[in-house]
Amino acid sequence: MTDYTLNCRGMQCPGPIMELFKQMKAAAPGDTAAISVTDMGFKKDIEVWCRKTKNTLVSLTEDAGVITAVVRKG
Amino acid sequence: MRLLILGGVAAGTKAAARARREYPDAEVTIVTQDEYVAYAGCGLPYFVGGEISEAKELIVRTPDEFKQENGITVLTRHQATQIDPAAHTVQVRDLMTGAEDGFPYDKLIIATGAVPILPKIEGINLKRVSTVRGLTDAKKIRALLDTGKLHTAVVIGGGFIGLEMAENLARHGLTVSIVELKSAILPGFDPEIAALTKNHLIEHGVQIYTGEGVTRILGNAHGEASGVVTDARTLPADLVILSAGIRPHTEVAAAAGVRVDVRGLILVDEYLRTSVADIFAVGDCASVRNRITGADTYSPMGSTANKTGRLVVANLFAPTEAFAGVQGTTIVRVFTLNAARTGLSTEEARAAGYDVETVLVPTPDRAHYFPGNRTIITKLIAEKSTHRLLGAQVVGEGVVDKPIDTLALGIAMGITVDALSGMDLAYTPPFASALSSSIVAANVLLNKLAGKVRGVSPCELALDDPALQLLDVRTEPEYLIAAIPGACNIPLAELTERRGELDPARPTVVVCKVGRRAYSAALQLQRAGFTDVRILDGGMTAWPFATE
Ligand SMILES: Cc1cc2nc3c(=O)[nH]c(=O)nc-3n(C[C@H](O)[C@H](O)[C@H](O)COP(=O)(O)OP(=O)(O)OC[C@H]3O[C@@H](n4cnc5c(N)ncnc54)[C@H](O)[C@@H]3O)c2cc1C
Repeated sequence: MTDYTLNCRGMQCPGPIMELFKQMKAAAPGDTAAISVTDMGFKKDIEVWCRKTKNTLVSLTEDAGVITAVVRKG
Repeated sequence: MRLLILGGVAAGTKAAARARREYPDAEVTIVTQDEYVAYAGCGLPYFVGGEISEAKELIVRTPDEFKQENGITVLTRHQATQIDPAAHTVQVRDLMTGAEDGFPYDKLIIATGAVPILPKIEGINLKRVSTVRGLTDAKKIRALLDTGKLHTAVVIGGGFIGLEMAENLARHGLTVSIVELKSAILPGFDPEIAALTKNHLIEHGVQIYTGEGVTRILGNAHGEASGVVTDARTLPADLVILSAGIRPHTEVAAAAGVRVDVRGLILVDEYLRTSVADIFAVGDCASVRNRITGADTYSPMGSTANKTGRLVVANLFAPTEAFAGVQGTTIVRVFTLNAARTGLSTEEARAAGYDVETVLVPTPDRAHYFPGNRTIITKLIAEKSTHRLLGAQVVGEGVVDKPIDTLALGIAMGITVDALSGMDLAYTPPFASALSSSIVAANVLLNKLAGKVRGVSPCELALDDPALQLLDVRTEPEYLIAAIPGACNIPLAELTERRGELDPARPTVVVCKVGRRAYSAALQLQRAGFTDVRILDGGMTAWPFATE
């Protein structure tokens, strides 16, 4: 299992979700990606995206204006 | 000089304090029926919620302090019952003893404010039914909340006071519903802004029922409120807040022959003079001129009450300092959302006869890459022929007070959209973007005014029009997350090759996240011969309705 890290700070929509989309496509089931973003809209988006794509949102945290989501494939 | 002031909250005490400074020898007396003076009415909801812990924090100055520090006499629980302009006296009743006395004056300032409008319904006099006007109300509500026994509340009226109260009651853990007779909350704001605010309240657990009238308040065996009945439902309510508007408190002035309008609003000129010599009126009981339309309006705001209370003192003997009027600038915070307006709303501008163009533009409130940035949505309303900016509204979780004050100043100075676009505004990443939110909004509006593109407001988009072709040009994952029902997805990058999937003759509305990609797509479609293309103003970011 691989843990990927994606720094998507500074990216505006759709940047972060596209990066995650690509990474998850390439990942194997059980792999995780920790993505950090500064676009607050991402917070709502990631929850819905995980639900609709059947990926698992392991955690979603916000610290000093940076949102970090850990997503597990599958 | 004997200066008598009726009412001692914002306008009355401001006038008294300045009169003391300007006329050290004057005998200054404030008569008020309230038990408190000089309190910050605007802070009441936050005291109810507990963000302000004790009532005394809202009191700027007590009657004793007025006496000792300013030499101003304050008589609380004293009600003015009659004004005799010919004799220059006011009849005053001591509400504690019932004793009546005549108070002579050389100059009289009426600052009797406003009172809540009480809906004429059964149950209005039950216990645990309250208005929120003065400190007395707020203390009563806070004491009820502090018992920890209340679980549900209904707020009647969705104006800014109703919304602030809803938030602060929710802070105490109550389940709160707002019932509003009109079709939208936040009167005075454009429907898109009101709808976004409504969504935010719902996300924070507040139920909102618009277009519903309250018909009855139910009570329990102890004579306490227990529920609210509307045209459509019955809601549980351990507490009922009445915030369905206010009216000027001016019966005494009107009875003395002071000219009032149909609402009872005391009509004053720009020097705050009433129709009667030596009688002035300031604050929530007096009219103010709208500086854009020139009309006499009712704009009962703390900001205005403080200004007019201060100004009137300069005009007691000769018209000296004119009040420029108001332009409807207001701001409200509900949970983590901020909403502000200045100038005319779209509806007000149209009612005043202006042919207007508007935009709705989401931007970050500071550099988009700077941690902590939040989205704000700017609405601008301008006159088509002159490009003059008539109104602006800003909503979002980011900073809205800075742009609204900048825009308010611009509107007051008669700024055009072109001039706004070129404004030299402060920029560094923690505070703003290189092109600030207001400038970006101005640029979008200029494109519209130049006829480069047409837009449609989310509130005017007719989704049920069978001819409508709704094109979403965002990427697939974005579309998957949330899309407008019926929208077809062709990402902008694929539009050239997949344009054939669309019908150039059908009315087409293009949508993206904020409007930027939709603008590019619209230009492309127009060049390709599409005859009726519009972009969705504000994109998905400002879309306040259901998605799938
Ligand atoms: C909950 C709440 C929140 C608010 N928030 C904001 C805000 O965020 N921003 C903003 O700009 N404004 C706000 N306002 C409005 C602001 O508080 C008022 O505009 C302001 O209080 C008006 O001051 P005033 O002195 O004209 O009148 P009032 O505050 O109404 O005071 C008038 C006083 O006169 C007394 N009086 C009346 N008749 C008589 C009589 N015959 N004899 C003796 N005394 C009399 C009354 O008892 C009262 O004490 C808010 C108001 C409320 C209630």
